[in-house]
Parts: sequence; structure tokens; C-alpha cells
Amino acid sequence: MPVVSVSVKRLNELLNKQYKMHVLVDALEQLGCDVEDTAELGLFQCPACQTPNDKLEHEEPPKRCDFCGHESEEPFVKYATDKVIRIDLLADRPDLFDTGGLSRALKGYLELEKGLSEFTVKEGKIEVNVDPVLSQKETFRPYIACAVITMPPLDQTSLREIMRLQENLHWGIGRDRKLSSIGVYDMGTLTPPIKYTTVDPIKFKFCPLGMPGVQMTPQKILEEHPKGVAYAHLMDDYKRYPILMDANDLVLAMPPIINSDETKCKINSSQLFVDVTGITQDAVINSLNTLVSALIELGGEVETVKMNFPEGPKTTPDLSPKKINIKFEAAKRWLGLDFSREEFIGYLHKMRLNVEPKKDVYEVSYPAFRSDIRHEVDLFEDLAIGYGFKNIQTKLVPSLTIGEARKEEELSQIVREIMTGLGFTEIMSLHLQSVERHFTKYQMEPGKEHVIIKNPKTIEQKVARCHLMTGIMETFYKNHRKTVPQRIFEVGNIILINPEMETGTNEYRHLAFAIIGPETGYAEGRMVLDSVMRELNYKGDYKPVSHPAFCQGRCAEVTGDAGLWARAGEIHPQVLNNFGLTYPVSYCELRLVKVI
Amino acid sequence: MRKTVSKSQWKVFKALLDSKQELSTPQIETISGLEHPQVAATLTYAQEQGWLTIKEHLRKELILSDSAEDQMKKGLPERQVLPILAEKGRMPMQDMARIAKQKEIPMGDIIKWSSMRGWVKKNKGELIITDDGHEAIDNPDADEKAIELAIKSGPLFLDQLEKHGIDPARVNKLLNKRTSLAKIKERTIRLAFLTDTGRKILREDIKIIKEQNILGPEDIESGEWKNIKLRPYDVTLEAEKTYPAKIHPMQKIIQQTRKAFLEMGFKEIVSPQAESAFWDFDALFQPQDHPARDMQDTFYLTRPSEAKLPHDKFVENVKQTHENGWKTGSTGWGYKWNLSRAKEMVLRTHTTATTIRALAEDPNPPRKVFCVGKVYRNEAISYKHLPEFFQVDGVIIDKDASLATLLGTLQEFYRKMGFKKVKFKPAFFPYTEPSAEAFVYMESKKSWIELGGSGVFRPEVTRPFGCKVPVLAWGLGLDRLAMLRYGINDIRELYWSDLDKIKEVPLCR
Repeated sequence: MPVVSVSVKRLNELLNKQYKMHVLVDALEQLGCDVEDTAELGLFQCPACQTPNDKLEHEEPPKRCDFCGHESEEPFVKYATDKVIRIDLLADRPDLFDTGGLSRALKGYLELEKGLSEFTVKEGKIEVNVDPVLSQKETFRPYIACAVITMPPLDQTSLREIMRLQENLHWGIGRDRKLSSIGVYDMGTLTPPIKYTTVDPIKFKFCPLGMPGVQMTPQKILEEHPKGVAYAHLMDDYKRYPILMDANDLVLAMPPIINSDETKCKINSSQLFVDVTGITQDAVINSLNTLVSALIELGGEVETVKMNFPEGPKTTPDLSPKKINIKFEAAKRWLGLDFSREEFIGYLHKMRLNVEPKKDVYEVSYPAFRSDIRHEVDLFEDLAIGYGFKNIQTKLVPSLTIGEARKEEELSQIVREIMTGLGFTEIMSLHLQSVERHFTKYQMEPGKEHVIIKNPKTIEQKVARCHLMTGIMETFYKNHRKTVPQRIFEVGNIILINPEMETGTNEYRHLAFAIIGPETGYAEGRMVLDSVMRELNYKGDYKPVSHPAFCQGRCAEVTGDAGLWARAGEIHPQVLNNFGLTYPVSYCELRLVKVI
Repeated sequence: MRKTVSKSQWKVFKALLDSKQELSTPQIETISGLEHPQVAATLTYAQEQGWLTIKEHLRKELILSDSAEDQMKKGLPERQVLPILAEKGRMPMQDMARIAKQKEIPMGDIIKWSSMRGWVKKNKGELIITDDGHEAIDNPDADEKAIELAIKSGPLFLDQLEKHGIDPARVNKLLNKRTSLAKIKERTIRLAFLTDTGRKILREDIKIIKEQNILGPEDIESGEWKNIKLRPYDVTLEAEKTYPAKIHPMQKIIQQTRKAFLEMGFKEIVSPQAESAFWDFDALFQPQDHPARDMQDTFYLTRPSEAKLPHDKFVENVKQTHENGWKTGSTGWGYKWNLSRAKEMVLRTHTTATTIRALAEDPNPPRKVFCVGKVYRNEAISYKHLPEFFQVDGVIIDKDASLATLLGTLQEFYRKMGFKKVKFKPAFFPYTEPSAEAFVYMESKKSWIELGGSGVFRPEVTRPFGCKVPVLAWGLGLDRLAMLRYGINDIRELYWSDLDKIKEVPLCR
């Protein structure tokens, strides 16, 4: 999960207060933020795009820009340090991704302001013409939403905040640019109207961010530019590439890969053009609303942009609040808290929400960017946070219920008692294994009764275990330099296919135990197995079987009533070789009970 | 009353009485013919009685390696090449290396030891013989003389060298790190000397009786034991270590967790590890395009590849809830729910799949259920992460279930897990609202550790299965708890067990 560093100085500036670090940390935690730690950051300027990059005090200065991908031989120059609170981003709350959004929430929680933030949006004149081709399959990226924002002239701090928020929204809402991606440009470099269309990946050329003066084809960007290489997979299905251009064919960006260098935001840029393009309407609108609302907190003023879609025009952004009804008594019951109606309203105000009493419900207005709200319980959560988790008087449910253990677990505990009593030490091993470790090394092959995994990151997790031999053999190997004999056991589940079942498998609880040492053999294992069966009152008959993992003539299977099954024998010397073992191993596996 | 001493003790005292002077432990052993522990125990006993005094001093003993004699016969590596170097005065390293190879002696030894002796200097890739080196050609060094002496007359102490004209300091310096040739071992020598009282008592006031290590059954039965002295032991000596056979440390945590839940009136439940996406994701209101459902994070199965779904009502309710909120009061996710994605088989990613199944089976309050089981995430094995780990999940279905009772239950649960101090902070999880994270204070780390998530299930999760009361849910990963409790830095240690380490973890931890 990305970590965002929030400057204490900057936060206090926006709050217009001088809070101590620990007060802010506590308030942020009580708001639900995941505060990782506090730290001191060094700030370094990228020589290509001027955006500040930050590094922790103990880290090496950067040589590669996080934003434009520019790489230089020399480390970037450090221009300042900053005390910060580092926060793990919460995917569900993109409105708390940046200093602007956090300051808005803190103003409420620290009772500096209450109720909804007012967002005024002026009607603007800029238009964007959307090419119908973007709705087609080979160039599918049909959704676009834009805004124009006038900011106090950007300085290094606000420029960095905007870039950082943009990156984090790419992660949080855009699923790493797959669903949606954002561009921010200096309006001063643009001539409206803007067009959203497509270009040929080989014939077209423009100058990508971080490479001033270099003209590249889109295809070359995907092959050579760091951002192009990183996101090239998103273009796999495209025959022509999406592009944003102004009236003079000056490129703004090639979404979702890269902006152009000529239209980028710089220090002192003031009027900004923002676009979000994507493949789902929700992601595009949420990204724009969240970004624009945050920029308003940083002192921005917003104008709308009119998008001319093939099906008709649409104007964005729409920051008007949304409404939901919640019930006072239901809220109290859900939270188990006792508060008055006045307090109830107060807590919601603290959470930057407006409340309007209506007959037997309350109508709560919440900001457009709160895309996490889909039910009244989402507001109950805000209510609990407003109340303060640390103020909650905890209690227990009064109902009496009776505890009851699973039979296989109680049985397993008896088995552990038997096995430790017989001098065996318990091991635990992993359920997922490679074909080689689970089958090949025993001269076996996976069959149609075995669970196979489709997409493991490594071959080590290709099958789910159907026997317990591997954990035992690998533990012996791990301990092969220690004194013998060694006596170990494992109690655990194995899985086998059964098409009759709802999810296609049965699970059984097995016991495996083994002895390694120069003197051990079938007789010793058999003695222990008999002892276990006697203690459990299991009765079965031994009959000779051959099994590729065991010595011929020294392997038996036990069967009996109620599905009793066990196998006992001396491990085949080839198998010992395969696991790097040099002493005989006497091994038994006993089915204790069917679990599923 | 006359003191009684055993026959073997008497042998020690007699040796001391006869010699009239102080004797070392080995000397007493030789004279008395007794083993070391017996002599040592007798001396300690007599010292406590005030019969003798014991002085201790350290001596350095020269002990030759098995091959020392051979090495001396051939000549030490640095001595073998010394005349060759002396003839030339200086020589490139490569030439020396060639000679070393011919003579089959390690070049490293030549350089190391001749430099240490001060016979050669290194300069720009050349070896140059020093004046000391020239002189050494016909004169054996101190350690060589000492070794020759030891070969002739057996083990000796460095403090005996001086009278043979050998410098003990140089011997110590040269042989200290050359264990292939000889070891210098420090030994504590105990010297015993009878006090006047001791001498008097031992001469005049002593009764010598029979002594044994153990009493036989006939000694005990016949009463003969009255005439037998049991040899005293040094009861303070360290004993050999022995360990009971044990259950695995991770197992202890699992059992402690189960016990906590059972004592709190929870019923234990179970569900398949190979699970349908329906129960693992859809039933928990996780949209079908949620990143957790990516191939990147979740193990999907080739076999079995498709699950059967539960009865149609559940499936229909879940579908509607995803698409438009159904009767749950929610807006839903607003997308077209896909039946075939719900039938996909996965290895369950959390045991919440187990608790939601139990809820669907019987949604009627009051119910408390829990389970401990393996869960899976598509990750490679590293010291920090495994693709599988144990998780515990508990739910409470109750008309009085609320955020306040959730936190109260958690507090009690963590107390049973051994954490006295617990605090909570708000959190955001996809299927609970509100959600809380529990932090426990770890005495061993002197800090608060985040340990598990919890919350009240969203109505979108519970209503489709006919549950009409709030449901509390929480879970935590047990492997992380094991790492914290046992101070394990590499998670792999838990599952590729070093048997000695399992033995050493005390059962009470």
C-alpha cells in the first residue's frame, strides 16, 4: 500500500493553527488513518520536470524522478527538509489521500469548522470534443471528465502535493491507471477547444514529459520511456492510441501513459486544466471529484468544462452534495451507544456532514467525493468516529451461548497427547507444494483426485497436499546433521477431489509419524501405529501392498470399520536419496476422520 | 565423635599426609589411583571441613596436534622455502607460488607464518628476506624448540620452558593461532595442602568405613546399609539436558486461541479450504472487479475448476444486492453480476468464508461461532511472507450486537490471548461498517502492535442470507502472532522445523 507523507508545517498552515505533532497524529488515528510513523524528509528537485521528490533522511538522494521518470547521473539537489507524518493510504477513502483532504477532515474533528465544505463551481467556457472512435472496441476508453482550476501560483510544495495526489488516485481509484488516469496541465499553454481522439502509434510524434526537445512516436514511448515501459501492458488491446490535443494539435497527453512535456504544470503555473479518462464512468467521476475537491482546500477556484460526447454534451465537475436518510434509533442500536439527538447531529457535523431532520429520519448531505457511502451504516461509522472510539464504553452481549469444539480437533488433541507420550515431536508443514516435492520425488504423479492450482507465482505452490510425507521428509533433511534416531509427527488436513461435493473436494484429518535412524524399520513403525490405534480404539486388518514410495515387501495398508485407513512401511531408498537422507525411515500415515 | 571417611577418601588424605607438601590434583590422582571427579569431590569436602586449603593457579599447557611430529620432520612450510629465498634475497610472489605448488605446501601458510616470524617482508608483489630470516636458517625458532622438547618428553607447560632457554612469550605468540601444529590450553591447577587441624584430625580421629556409589537391594533389605557410606556427589554440577517431546509452538497458539473462544461460549465450525468465489468473495459483498479477486493475489484452481452454488434464493439475493442493493437498503455496486465468476474455485483467502457459510446455514440469534484454519494468498515464499497462514475468525449473531459489544468482546478475547492492554482505532474494511483495528501492548517489544481487524457486517452481507440482526466479526492472522511471541524473524523457521529449536521453546510460552 502506498504511504503518503503529510507535512506537519503544511497541515498547520491549512488549519491556520500551531498543533504539536502528537496532537495531529492522535486526531488522524482517531479519524481512522493508518499512521505508520513520523519522520524527517529531504526534498529534492527533479531537474527535468521541476517536481520535488522526497526521500527519508537516511535514504540515498534520488537520481530518478517519481513523476516524469527522468534519470540523471548526479543525485538531485536537496533544497529543504520537512517533518512529516507518514500514513498508509486507505483504498476506501481517496478523499484522505492528501494534505488538502486531510485538513478538511481535521478541521471538523478538531472542531475548527463544522458541516459540509462549501464548493462553488463557476460555469466555464472550455469545451472538449470527444471522438466517437473511443467507444469502439479497439480503442475503448470512452469516459472523460474535466475541470479548470485557478490556483494560487504553484510553488514547489503545492506542485508536489498535486503530483502526489494524482499518483495516489491512480492507485486508489484507477487501479494503477487501468480504470482511470488523470492529467493536470498548465492552461496557459493550451488553446481551446480540446479534442479527445486517437492517433497512429507509429506515425504520430510528440514530446513526452521529462524529455524536453525529444519527439517520439507513441510506440517508441512504450518501448523506451520509463513510464511507457511501466504501463505498456495497458495498451495491449489498442490498435490506435487515445490522445488529448488542443485546437492547434498541441498534445496534452497520451492517456493513460504520459503527459506531454510542453503542456506540463510548472512552478508559477496558476490556471490548470484537469482531465480524467477511463473505462468506467464511476472511476472517472470519483477521481475528478476527489482531485478537484482537494485542490479547492489548497485555495483553488473551479470552473466547469463541457464535454461533447457523441450522445450529447455533459458538464463536469458536479460537486453538489449527495443525500441519504438515516434513522436515529437504528444508529444508536447499531453502535450500542447512548447519545442525544443534539449530540448525534454534533458528531455528524464534526465529520463534515450536514444534517436535516425529516419526519422520522434525518437527511444527511455528504460531499460528492464520498464514493464509499452506499448505505446508512456507512454514516453510522462516521457517527462512531465523531463520537470517538476512545470514548466508547465497551460491553458484552448478554445472551448465553454454549461453547462446543469440533470433533476432529478434540480427536487431534488426543492424538497429540499419544504421540508426545510416545516421544514424538510435532512438526507443522505447508499445504501447498510443487509437483516435484509432492509427487515426483516419491516416484508418483498427480492424478485426477488431486487439487491443482491454476496461477501460482512460483512452481512451489502447484498442488494442495494429498499426503503428509513431504513435511516429514523435509524436516528430516533439515535436521540431518543432528543425532539420530529422530521421531516426529504431524497432524493436519489433506485434500482430495470428490465431484459430488459442493466445492468438489473432501478433506481428511491425517496423522503422519516417522522415525529415522540406523536401527529403525517396519517393526518399530508398526509397533507405534498399533499403539495409536489401540488408544483410539480403532480396529483394522493389515495387508501387504506395494507403493512406489516404500520398499517392496515392507509396506502395509490397514483397513477397517468406519472408513479406517492407514499405511505403514519403510521408505524406499530412492526416495531417501531424493530427499538427501542417509538413514532408513519408518513411516506411517493414519486417516483420523473425514472433516469435509 | 570420630569423623568417618570412606576408603577412597582415605587414599586422598593419605597421599597428602605422606607427602608433607602441597600436591596438585593430577599428582593426587596418580598416587591414589582414583578418578578425577572423586578426588575433586573429596578435596571440596575436606576444604569445607577446614582440613585443607586449596590454591588455584593458571598454567598454559602446550598440546601438540596429531600431525605435529610429521610436520617437524618435513620441516614447517616457511622453513622449507627459507633457504631458497635466502639464496636469491628477493623473489616475485608468483615464483614463490610455483615453488609452493611443487613442494605441495599451501602458499598462504608460507606467507602468513614467515611474515609473522619476521623472516620476510612483502613489497610490490615481491618477497624480501630480512636479517632475521637469514639468521633463522641455521637456528630453530622458539616454538620449534619447544615442540621438539614436547615430542621428546611429553606434554609440558609454558612456564617450564625458561629453564631450557626458550622464550615462552614468543612460543605463545607463534603457536596461539596455529592449531594445526599445537594448541596452547589454559589449565587451572589446584594445589591442596593440609592444615594443621586437618593433619591432626586425620592422624588421630578418623574411622574408615566401606563406601559405595549405590545401594543394592540386598544392602537395603539386610540393613547392611548402616555400615556403608554413600559417596557424596557434587550436587551443584550441571546435569545433562533432557527435553520432553513437544507439540509445535504454532500449535500452542492455535490451541490457546481455540480455548479462548470455547471458554467464551463459541461453537467451532469448519469449511472447505478449496472454496467457491461465491463464498469467498460474492457473499461478502466484494464486487467482482475488486483487486483482491485478481489472479495476482488469489490462487485459482484448475482442478476442481467449478463449484456448485448453494440454493437459488441465496444466489439470487446476492446477485441483486451486488447489482442494486436488493432489500438491504443499499445502492449496491451498480454493475452486472456474473454467475460464472461466482462459480470459480479458489483457495480461500480468509476464514470469513467459513463464518459467512455458518451464518447462511443458520442466521438466527443468538449464535457465536469461530474457526481456525489455513488461508491462502498468491505470494512467493520469503522470510516475511508465506503463501499460506493460519487465520482465526469469529462472529456473533445477536440482537444486542453493536460496535460497543464488539469492542467489549475483543477486549476479553485479547485478554485471554495474554494481552492485558488493548486499544482500538477506526479502520476501513470492505465488508464491515463500522470497522475497528485492535492494538495490543507487547511487553517484550515495549510497543503497541496492530493485531487483527473487526467490525459489524454490512447489511449487504447478512440480509441476503436472511439474517435480521447485526453480526459482529473479527479475525487475525496467527502466524504473525507466533513470530512476535517467539521472536522469530524468518517465518520459514515455523514450517521447516529445526527440531532442537522446537524442543527449546518452553511449553509455558
